[in-house]
Amino acid sequence: MDLLQRFTHGEIDAFETLVQQFQGDIYAWIVRIVRDPGTAEDLTVETLWRVYRARHRFRPDGNFGAWARRIATNLAIDHLRRSRPVQSFPTEPGGVPQPDPLVQRETQERIQQAFRRLPAKLQVAATLALVEELPYDEIASALGTSVGAVKLRVFRAVRILRKRLSHAGITPK
Amino acid sequence: MKEHEENYMTEPNDREIRDALRQSFPPVNTELRRDLWPDVLRKLDARQVAVPWYDWTLVGLSAVMFLAFPRWVLVFAYHL
Repeated sequence: MDLLQRFTHGEIDAFETLVQQFQGDIYAWIVRIVRDPGTAEDLTVETLWRVYRARHRFRPDGNFGAWARRIATNLAIDHLRRSRPVQSFPTEPGGVPQPDPLVQRETQERIQQAFRRLPAKLQVAATLALVEELPYDEIASALGTSVGAVKLRVFRAVRILRKRLSHAGITPK
Repeated sequence: MKEHEENYMTEPNDREIRDALRQSFPPVNTELRRDLWPDVLRKLDARQVAVPWYDWTLVGLSAVMFLAFPRWVLVFAYHL
């Protein structure tokens, strides 16, 4: 019996081998989305626990890494939904960019804040596509959707962000 | 990425937003710092020890039964 078959039968040794093999990939994927190492570790443990619980639904001829990544993505989206900031930042009348590093840092913090207020699914698609520059087919596979849907989410994220930043008087440079 | 830019990022401001995002979100270290297997195992054990819902249902039904028929407590205790 091969490793994946043994895993679906609930053999803990087989599961440990899979954890050792995939925990790095799962963590790397999650940390790209949530951007916090501690949270990413917690979510990786939760992902692996859910993977074990859902082992009966996994087909041994399937792609274990892709399946685990999809579970990880859903957990990361749930986390972003829960931790989404509710307060908005104050609007400013002018959007004149200033070269002062402190002002630039403040602007970056406000861009982060505006970005984290986006709907979780848009945020994940935009993070992976624009910040991490990952291929669209890889993102689509992890989100369980089509490449077109991912592109649309990124498009919508950029549009919303542009509107909010413009409303707050922030002009990205 | 290029295909995406052609299709969706037609306005210069969109590209500026993408650049601003990259500046605002510095690269993260994707290297896992420690083995998470002990944590996973602990979580699996903790969940396995948890009392299943049907046991709690049984406890609840027993409590209701003993409240309704207190004399059954003696019968139950005799058989323990």
